[in-house]
Amino acid sequence: MSTENVIEVKNLTMEYSTRKGNVSAVDNVSFSIKRGQALGLVGESGCGKTSIAKSLLKLLPDNAMIQQGQIVLNGKDMVPLPEEEMRKHRWSEISMVFQAAMNAFNPVYTVGDQIIEAIETHLPDVSEKDARVKIENLFRMVGLAPEMVDRYPHEYSGGMRQRAVIAMALSCDPDIIIADEPTTALDVIVQDSILKEITTLQDRLNMSMVYISHDVAVIAEVSDRVGVMYAGRMVELADTEEIFIRPIHPYTYALMQSFPSVTGPKRELVALPGEPPDLLHPPKGCRFHPRCPNRIEKCDQEQPEWKDYGDNHFCACWNPMEIN
Amino acid sequence: MWSYIGKRIVQMFITLLLFQIATYILIDLQPGDVTDLLIGNPDITAAERARIAADLGLDGPLPSRIWTYLTNFYTGNLGVSMQQYPRPVSEILMTRLPRTFTLFMAATILSFWLGYIAGKFLAWKRGGAWEYASTITGVTLFTIFTPLLAYILLWLFARQLDSWISDTFGIDFDLPISKFNTPSLWRRAPYDTNTVFSWMNWNFFAIVMIILIALIVSNYIPRRYRPALRIGSVVLSIGGSLIWWAFISGVGLYAWDIVKHLFLPILTLTLISFGGNMLLTRTSMLETLREDYIETARAKGLPEGVIRNRHAARNAVLPVWTALVFSLSNTISGGIITETVFSWPGIGATLVQSVSVSDFAVAMGALTLIGIMTLIGHLIVDIGYVFLDPRIRIH
Amino acid sequence: MTNSSSNRSNGGSSVWQARWALFRKSAAANWALFAENPVGLIGLGIILFFLLLVILHPILLNTVWDPNVYNPINGFDPQSPVNPAPPSARHLLGTAPQGQDILSQLMFSARNEFILAVLAATVTVTMTTTLGAIAAYYGGVIDNVIMRIVDLVIMVPALSILIVVSGLFELSIVQLALVIGLISAFGASTVVIKSQALSIKVKPYIEAARVAGGGDFHIIFRHLLPNLMPIALLYMMFSVTGAIFSEAVLAFLGLLEVDMSWGIMLNTTRNLGFILDFSNRWYLIFPAGLSITLLSSAFYLVGRALDEIVNPRLRQR
Repeated sequence: MSTENVIEVKNLTMEYSTRKGNVSAVDNVSFSIKRGQALGLVGESGCGKTSIAKSLLKLLPDNAMIQQGQIVLNGKDMVPLPEEEMRKHRWSEISMVFQAAMNAFNPVYTVGDQIIEAIETHLPDVSEKDARVKIENLFRMVGLAPEMVDRYPHEYSGGMRQRAVIAMALSCDPDIIIADEPTTALDVIVQDSILKEITTLQDRLNMSMVYISHDVAVIAEVSDRVGVMYAGRMVELADTEEIFIRPIHPYTYALMQSFPSVTGPKRELVALPGEPPDLLHPPKGCRFHPRCPNRIEKCDQEQPEWKDYGDNHFCACWNPMEIN
Repeated sequence: MWSYIGKRIVQMFITLLLFQIATYILIDLQPGDVTDLLIGNPDITAAERARIAADLGLDGPLPSRIWTYLTNFYTGNLGVSMQQYPRPVSEILMTRLPRTFTLFMAATILSFWLGYIAGKFLAWKRGGAWEYASTITGVTLFTIFTPLLAYILLWLFARQLDSWISDTFGIDFDLPISKFNTPSLWRRAPYDTNTVFSWMNWNFFAIVMIILIALIVSNYIPRRYRPALRIGSVVLSIGGSLIWWAFISGVGLYAWDIVKHLFLPILTLTLISFGGNMLLTRTSMLETLREDYIETARAKGLPEGVIRNRHAARNAVLPVWTALVFSLSNTISGGIITETVFSWPGIGATLVQSVSVSDFAVAMGALTLIGIMTLIGHLIVDIGYVFLDPRIRIH
Repeated sequence: MTNSSSNRSNGGSSVWQARWALFRKSAAANWALFAENPVGLIGLGIILFFLLLVILHPILLNTVWDPNVYNPINGFDPQSPVNPAPPSARHLLGTAPQGQDILSQLMFSARNEFILAVLAATVTVTMTTTLGAIAAYYGGVIDNVIMRIVDLVIMVPALSILIVVSGLFELSIVQLALVIGLISAFGASTVVIKSQALSIKVKPYIEAARVAGGGDFHIIFRHLLPNLMPIALLYMMFSVTGAIFSEAVLAFLGLLEVDMSWGIMLNTTRNLGFILDFSNRWYLIFPAGLSITLLSSAFYLVGRALDEIVNPRLRQR
């Protein structure tokens, strides 16, 4: 595994402007991903996971603005790029597996046509015949029959569609794929086989991935590193095993506790009291403090620092969990 | 798919039969009959009147009269016109049907296409002065009193613009304000108006078919040749036809006369339907732009134009196409008014004119033809939808 | 407990009070939504303006206007013997070819339009909702018969049927309104209302009403119809537009025998050959032509604004 960073996100801050005021959806988030590495972003819904995904592709609605920060993709900062430039980087360098695969395909074209158009846009030198061969190979790779290339989306089942979406994401040989809740809409068995498929492909193609999920179990299964998001901020970032064994932030701890473990030791399931904050008026200081069991005085005054706890383990907390 | 179309045709035929029976009963509800016209004539006795009524088949019971009417209709006998006695109704209507058909086809195609283009761009460039201007224009065209619009266009084009052009450039268009042709010109013509007009219609039909076939074929050839074939078919078929009419046919002058008479009615009718089509395309496009596959298309890094035309507009057109069933009847109502205002002798003007002189054989024929045209329109919309939406096509 | 028993003891009155309060609350909320939309307000403004004309007309005729001069049908002004005459202080919009005051004609016709519009729309809405509800509720043969009649009516544009009917029978405004109302009652709106009724029919409260022993009649009129009212109101606006338009066209084509209407005014102008004389005789063309356009578009605009309230997905964020 090379140590080169495929993507580096530095101090990313993104806001939505709404009628009622600005919503800070992503606040000062930093992380980087090496080639072949998979980063999992986990958190409750509305914590800014999907906003990060959309910011990485710069696929933002009109009312969203990246206020500051850098998104360095293959050594180039994407944030200042104009739309027309950015367009060329999408899919060829960074592609995405969408949350709602059901509607990710246009109903009036065959799935094959919709993948071909991506290849044609980004790899103009590939002939139509070669593109077709490539798609058939991708279909085999993701476990779809090559004949399905000429079928329309409504002829696919949910699981097949998700596989086709993955094939589409791979079609232009991107360096990094963002998978936003890739399996949430599927039933558990299909979910599992698709996750296995993705991890196998990722290893085989030595690709980087960003997984986004509210499901700790999914994240644990597929990622090498885990970032925990809370209310638009990243509160903890560490290698997967490390974070499961040694959570530092009280929120991470609660999150880990709220999922039952089949293989591990028996433990109490803890439900976190309270609601995530309203991002129109986020709480001062640490955004987690109103719900935090470890709250101390300065939590509602000062924003906690992003501190290195060794072993590539970072956390932002004034009063971390006791180690062990 | 064919069984679906077959089923639709049978359904429509039954609807048509029911409609004919209903109209017959409606006419029958009117007090008295045609022989009442003879009351004022002192030479005709009551017995004579009864005999005439019997001759005309007016004395039987209602069901048998309906049966006679229907069998006559389907053997091509639509009765005779009382006003232009003894000219058969079928003859009157058949000379006028192609005109009205052309008018509707041209206006429907144009307004659909223009409304689609305008609506597409308006939804894409949201907000601002354009949105206001277009909404106001759309609503105005949709709700303006049709005769008023027709007269405004007449005044604008045939009076103001025509005299402005002849004053400025010395070219005299002589844009006519009514009728189907200029009689003084046609006195020397080698063919009559309907013959030349039918050639024009065949030519128009051929152009539409060539473009349609080119469009279908273009989906099966390599992508980079597609624009050439599509644009080529349009340019060649239209250009070729123009050259033929101007230099080879020998009746270009007469064809031009017909075109001049067609121009304002088609413009009026197009504008009437254009507003509704534009507003509907815009709404539909705005809905489509919120779909997930539009975001997918953006994420794939497709160019703006491709996202707009290939992904958004292609789906946005579906509800607009379905709504054609309703806008069709608007267009036909508009056509009746337009033909009357321009004294342009098509089926619509015939309907109004025959009703106002109580020539009900002609009126019923015209009404039935209008019904048949609407039914054919509905059938075309249904079949077209099957092609436009693969979700229907498969099942 | 005490509360509920007291409710029962004083009978329906408190139920009606609660309903009234609910109605007032939802009306206020809907008005707020409606008032947000300039389109609907413009439409409403135009309608109110024409209503004002309707109310003012008899008042003016009884006060400042000499009925012999300003009678909309056969008035004649001896002081302006040459007709049509352009606008003047005496005749703000000029006089018609036969000498009537155009403003008076305009105001008088507005009344006819409202009578026609309200009557036709009421007939349409009552019938479409009832037909739609019955077709949806009973299904089967009844549904089939209603829908086949709808097919028949949709098949031919309403205007062509109206043309034939007005040629066959001499219709008064009220009769015309009934015919227009009937024809549009079997039009496309019935299809929409039926599908709406179908979706209401499967709602739990309908099932609950049936389990509680509610008869068909009770369920249709107490549960189905009230829930169809918003969408029916919407279609009422659109059918008003259609009614005004149809009357104007028929009158313009000379197929109607009403005493005075905007369409008749235009018909007279056209018959006497003034219709293209925009620069000199505009007052014979535009007041009537624009009134038709404005009033029918006003109802259309109100309809569109209501549409956004009834179908919230049309609302812009």
